[in-house]
Amino acid sequence: MIARRTAVPADRGQLAVLNQFLREFWAAAALAPPGMQPFALALEEIFMNIVMHGSEPGRTPCVEVFLDGDAAESVTMTVEDDGPQFDPLSLPPPDISVGLDQRPVGGLGVFLVRQMMDTVSYQRVGARNQLRMIKSLAS
Amino acid sequence: MNLRIEALPEATYVIPEGRLDFDAAPGFQQSVERIFSAAGKAPAVVIIDGTGLEYVSSAGLRAVLLAARAAQRAGSAFALCALQPAVREVFDLSGFSRIIAVHADRAAALAQAQQGRP
Repeated sequence: MIARRTAVPADRGQLAVLNQFLREFWAAAALAPPGMQPFALALEEIFMNIVMHGSEPGRTPCVEVFLDGDAAESVTMTVEDDGPQFDPLSLPPPDISVGLDQRPVGGLGVFLVRQMMDTVSYQRVGARNQLRMIKSLAS
Repeated sequence: MNLRIEALPEATYVIPEGRLDFDAAPGFQQSVERIFSAAGKAPAVVIIDGTGLEYVSSAGLRAVLLAARAAQRAGSAFALCALQPAVREVFDLSGFSRIIAVHADRAAALAQAQQGRP
């Protein structure tokens, strides 16, 4: 169907750029707008994780995003960065059963990504972290 | 994101429009904290009206959680209403809709908040 790629520095100001990239892919692939939300969320969560936790001092990693829509109405989004090795899927899930006072304010992003995507997999490929997310758009 | 605040006699409504993401969350948080820290008495009821809210990420959830805690400290009732389905899904998946009241519309949120008060 259609594939797109972009690369940005892991800088928080680039979030809007990536969001625009996703919107353009969605329009070019003529996909239904409601299906974009989980990908927008996953892109923000994974990118911001790299921005905030994926840098060595003095060096800003490069983040590459690949979007791929296939004929079976599923979209694959791959996010790669050349920062230090880190598997976000190794994070323990947050305890979402506790009340307002005890509820930790962080740790939700990756949990939400796993809930919303059909498949999420991590690989260290050479000197890069690669996170691949797949979701079917068929309802 | 646009943020409007309507201070009415029965409740203060917080109306975010657009995306409550990493970029928008700090401004949202500051505006909401100002409601509780302003001179005089904190509003009895604060309701976030999600009619125009199109998107929320974990950063947005965090800002809402901190708002709910600020309300609790100030002794104000706090609720969300009129969430769009995609936003509602994020609140449900995160478990937030179990710890923060979510209502269909302003009237339902207001009725529940007023009932809960002594």
